[in-house]
Amino acid sequence: MKLLEIKNLHAKIGDKPILRGINLDINAGEVHAIMGPNGSGKSTLCQVLGGREGFEVTEGDVTYDGKDLLELSTEERATAGLLLGFQHPVEIPGVKNIYLLKEALNAQRAARGLDEMDTFTFMKTVRELTKTMGMDDAFLHRGVNAGFSGGEKKRNEILQMLLLQPRLALLDETDSGLDIDALKIVSEGINRLRGGDRGIVLVTHYQRLLSYVEPDFVHILYQGKIIKSGDKSLALQLEAEGYQDILDAAS
Amino acid sequence: MNRTPLPEWLANSLIDTLSSQQPAAPGEIHTTARAQVIEWGLPTLRDEEWRWTNLRALTRPLPTSDVTAPPETIGVTDSMPQVLRIRFNGGKLVELPKELPDGMTITPLQDADHAQRRAAFAPLAQSPNDALLALNTATAAEGLVIDIAANVAITPPIVLEFLDAPSETAAQTRILVRCGPHSRATLIETATSTDGVTSWRNSVLVAELAVSSQLNHLSLGLDGDARLLTDRSFVTLARDARYRSINIQLGGQLVRREIDVNITDTGAHCDLFGLMMPRAKQVLDTHTRLTHGAAHTTSDERYQIIADEAGRGIFKGRILVAQDAQKIEAYQSSRNLLLSDSAEIDTKPELEIYADDVKCSHGATIGRLDDEALYYLKSRGISSENARKLLITGFAQEIVDQLPTPELVEWVGQIIARRLERQQAE
Repeated sequence: MKLLEIKNLHAKIGDKPILRGINLDINAGEVHAIMGPNGSGKSTLCQVLGGREGFEVTEGDVTYDGKDLLELSTEERATAGLLLGFQHPVEIPGVKNIYLLKEALNAQRAARGLDEMDTFTFMKTVRELTKTMGMDDAFLHRGVNAGFSGGEKKRNEILQMLLLQPRLALLDETDSGLDIDALKIVSEGINRLRGGDRGIVLVTHYQRLLSYVEPDFVHILYQGKIIKSGDKSLALQLEAEGYQDILDAAS
Repeated sequence: MNRTPLPEWLANSLIDTLSSQQPAAPGEIHTTARAQVIEWGLPTLRDEEWRWTNLRALTRPLPTSDVTAPPETIGVTDSMPQVLRIRFNGGKLVELPKELPDGMTITPLQDADHAQRRAAFAPLAQSPNDALLALNTATAAEGLVIDIAANVAITPPIVLEFLDAPSETAAQTRILVRCGPHSRATLIETATSTDGVTSWRNSVLVAELAVSSQLNHLSLGLDGDARLLTDRSFVTLARDARYRSINIQLGGQLVRREIDVNITDTGAHCDLFGLMMPRAKQVLDTHTRLTHGAAHTTSDERYQIIADEAGRGIFKGRILVAQDAQKIEAYQSSRNLLLSDSAEIDTKPELEIYADDVKCSHGATIGRLDDEALYYLKSRGISSENARKLLITGFAQEIVDQLPTPELVEWVGQIIARRLERQQAE
């Protein structure tokens, strides 16, 4: 079943074209990795799919679960099951993590026609997840990402994913800024999301994450286009040979 | 300079009041204040401390209304059964606690002795900026003296509920709180009136904190869209005393508070925390003046205004460090959120430092809700409205969290949440 279908997507910031005709299909149950050098358009693609303001889509279509994704607001995309893991999670001092988790979960449940989760079940679920992600309970009562280290912020992103159970998780450089221990915890978290009818897109600069979360497909993004697609061996080839050889071969 | 005399309606109503009630101030203090009232009238925009706050509403008789419903009380006592409740209605003392803990006495002002009255009326008006203090001194007949003995901790909060019922003139109340050496207490003042009812209270509170005493003082302004409040607090701290003021104003047509704190001896600490949330056409204004009069004293001041609709918030915070007050630490911040194009925020820090070995810092910011934060919350499926509410609540919570007990944090947090929900529903 097709979860996401991107057809000839063009987008720009101001006058500067960033995406220049992206085509990509993601089926339920698949894990895709999108790799590319800095400035290739990886983050822009994530932001356009997430619905951030400031990007203008000039051409193309994006269909998510049969709906025109670009017509949906940011919050509608999220409650429809498309969740974006931020490269730079935003610090919100004053808003406690636990309140964000509760509001977000209730929004998801309301969209699925479910009642609010009762407080006891909610707390139990959240506590189990904080443990899974190697986080202290005290974190729940701290401001969202406020004063968190890079690794804590990324673990928090995955914790939210595990609670909210997206149908399509779009993880933007979730592996950047992680030491090896944090990388393992984050990877285990992503692997727990994997499977069933869920799609996962890993946007990353390095092959490192892909040793822990094995993708079904790897795509190379360059100058706003996917120039090569393959299986996980493409990531290994990239690691061994570097971007330049692949770019030369593709051109 | 030519001053505008007291408006005729106010002068007449004072004559009426004074013919039935004996002012409580001691003779010579009263005589001076009366002369000041006649000379100064009401403060005007030409007076430095009033240049942002217009008392125009007081130049004409207060509108009467036919709303007779009593104001909805916010039920301090519902969620916190263990409080010592004192209630004023339209400036008249109507309720006292049936029993008091050992070591605490409450004396209605009419029954106070000369020494108590002298202490209650000690702060003297110096200039036309203080015209309303003079007015209170010249006319206040109602009020209380609360004495807390040495070495006593009063655990239940002392709650002063002011139901600002309509009155033809200002309700003039005078409260004196004296905290004995090594004592501890929490004082809560709440103000509320029914919407549509114009009321004016001009109140003064004097607090004396003896050696090593602690006072937490919450002033909570609630509903009443036509409520006018002009209020002054004078707080004096002796050696090692600790005073924490939390000033939360959520409603009223015009609320003007002035908080004067004088740290007179070493080791004392003062916290001044404030949250004002003006909306509609409300004007919520606080001026603080903090004097570090002794070495090795510390203070922390944080004020936040969240202005919505056509609301106006004003904060002026003055810190004065005396010449021999070395090694003091004073920190002040004013952080503000402007939520609409018609709202207005004025903030002015004023540091006057005469000592040379001190640590002082201050900062002021005015901003809007952070777009990045809104986007992040929405990307989690939270609606625009709820994302806004989360951010506003989170900002307000930084001040609410400074309340001394979890019960108070919870109680005030709920009041703010309800207030935001009501606004959302309108």
